[in-house]
Amino acid sequence: MTRARNRELLALIPVALLLTAGFAAVFAQDHAKLGNLSLTYGAYFLAVCLATHIFLRFRLPHADPYLFPLMALLTAFGLVMIYRIDESLARNQANWFVFGLILFALTIYFLRDYEILERYRYIIATAGILLLLAPRLPGIGEEVNGAYLGVKLGPISFQPGEIAKLAIVVFLASYLRENREVLIVGARRVLGVTLPPLKHFGPMLVVWGAAMFMLIYIRDLGTSLMFFTAFLALLYVATGRFSFVVVGTIMFLLGAWFIFTTVPHVHERVENWLHPYHDALGNGFQVLQSTFAQADGGLFGKGFGQALLTVPGHPNLTMLPVAQTDTIYSLIVNELGLFGAVGLIATYLLITARGFKIALLANDGFSKLLATGLTAVFAIQAFVIIGGVSRVIPLTGVTLPFVSYGGSSIVANFVLLALLLLISDRARREAEEGVPRSGRDEALGAAA
Amino acid sequence: MAYDPLSTALKFGFLAVLFLFLLVIARSAYRDLRRTAAPAPDATGFHAVPVGVGEVQRGVDAWLVAERGGGLERDERFDLIGGLSIGRSKDADVQIDDRYASGIHARLFSREGLHFAEDMNSTNGTLLNGAPLDGEAELVDGDTLQIGDTVFRFEAS
Repeated sequence: MTRARNRELLALIPVALLLTAGFAAVFAQDHAKLGNLSLTYGAYFLAVCLATHIFLRFRLPHADPYLFPLMALLTAFGLVMIYRIDESLARNQANWFVFGLILFALTIYFLRDYEILERYRYIIATAGILLLLAPRLPGIGEEVNGAYLGVKLGPISFQPGEIAKLAIVVFLASYLRENREVLIVGARRVLGVTLPPLKHFGPMLVVWGAAMFMLIYIRDLGTSLMFFTAFLALLYVATGRFSFVVVGTIMFLLGAWFIFTTVPHVHERVENWLHPYHDALGNGFQVLQSTFAQADGGLFGKGFGQALLTVPGHPNLTMLPVAQTDTIYSLIVNELGLFGAVGLIATYLLITARGFKIALLANDGFSKLLATGLTAVFAIQAFVIIGGVSRVIPLTGVTLPFVSYGGSSIVANFVLLALLLLISDRARREAEEGVPRSGRDEALGAAA
Repeated sequence: MAYDPLSTALKFGFLAVLFLFLLVIARSAYRDLRRTAAPAPDATGFHAVPVGVGEVQRGVDAWLVAERGGGLERDERFDLIGGLSIGRSKDADVQIDDRYASGIHARLFSREGLHFAEDMNSTNGTLLNGAPLDGEAELVDGDTLQIGDTVFRFEAS
């Protein structure tokens, strides 16, 4: 109830404090113009967060209290780091942050009955697929480092994949909500493995095919991996069959291996990951510099504003390529060390935990699956880029949610947050009013 | 670059506030988890429902006790905490070896301090105190539950 909102309010204060401290440290380092500019920025940030908080107090009084402060913390990380790289980029990012919050408020305002999404699922799915394909369309598509992720429409360029991820999760959640029973009931055991019934293998093959197609067509392993893993997470929650996940993972690995051997761009990405030293000053440069930067950070980091982005004395010789997007995580680790890295990852983990908690609390199947899917896709996105820059998996051009520079990423993730809070508000309100939990026949366990 | 005491202080201050903040949220999330540990009966019966640590022992007040059949030891006890699914399937919490049982035949769950049994559309049905169980029904201490040739007793304190 209001207690939840009070906790949210209390949690926003340390976030604003962190942003202020971050800016103060950057100023102290960069131009000794400490003054009270950092306080001003901190106050702006707090004001924007407070406005959002008051909106939530009225519209979603029961929603989860910590999701918004945690996401605000990520944004604060991003703003400080981007400011430290380039002042004008930070100004853009701050504008996107405000714009994202406006869209966040609009989503909450107009999508109070989010079940309506279920009714338009095929339209939503089509829109999502078109968005994913848009970067390959001649005239508006944009190729960055061999992958097709961006779209340029006149002066505006954006990454449609960020918005598509929401559309696809909504579609999968509503599709699986309706078809989960048949997936379980018809399952049979072959050689000790429970396989879904053959005729319902169809949807799984379609999603697998789509993931493979994306890999070939958009040439981005990260996006493909993100969507397919979110699908497997949803499938697991919907059916409770771990074997489906195993089968799906094997299918993905086989497909990815095949594409690795046939599509040159994907092959190159994997080669850069496995053998970066083969071309240390060319293709392997980014991932190598990124890992060096992280190692160089040590336990507590070099301090805000201390990382070397360019070779000293040579402003054109980059040390950490694309620091504002791909390698922003490495920059944070370089400046705040292992402790900063752990703090950042813990923030993502806590958000993920809150998200799954919302799914547990939710009463109906669609809400449960939607909350699971949104949380999963968010968490996997963070994993794909953090894993990429620390050489756990091949580096791909996915953004670090809420931290990386980029309008579409911020905006899409704020819509994602709005949906999670909408689900959370209803679930927690019903829990407080004591709505019988298993009363609805569409609840997930009802047809086992 | 020389060590600037101010920026060093700000860096450690930042990390300290960051960790305190995360700690408070983690603690609160953990307490939240325990408070709402009332198992969600509508979570799928296939996998264990997460229950807050420490909640498991304290809250146990109802058991399913095997009486005969099903390949179970006589008087084998199953805690009802988190709900129980009964069936022939490996995924069932109480796996019974009974050729009349369905994969997931029935389930038991608690809601607001009361306990219920529900037949999961099994092929051969479930008997509660000898009468067919239609949908869900409340359980009281001493009830018997029969699935095929397997008989259970329900105990509550």
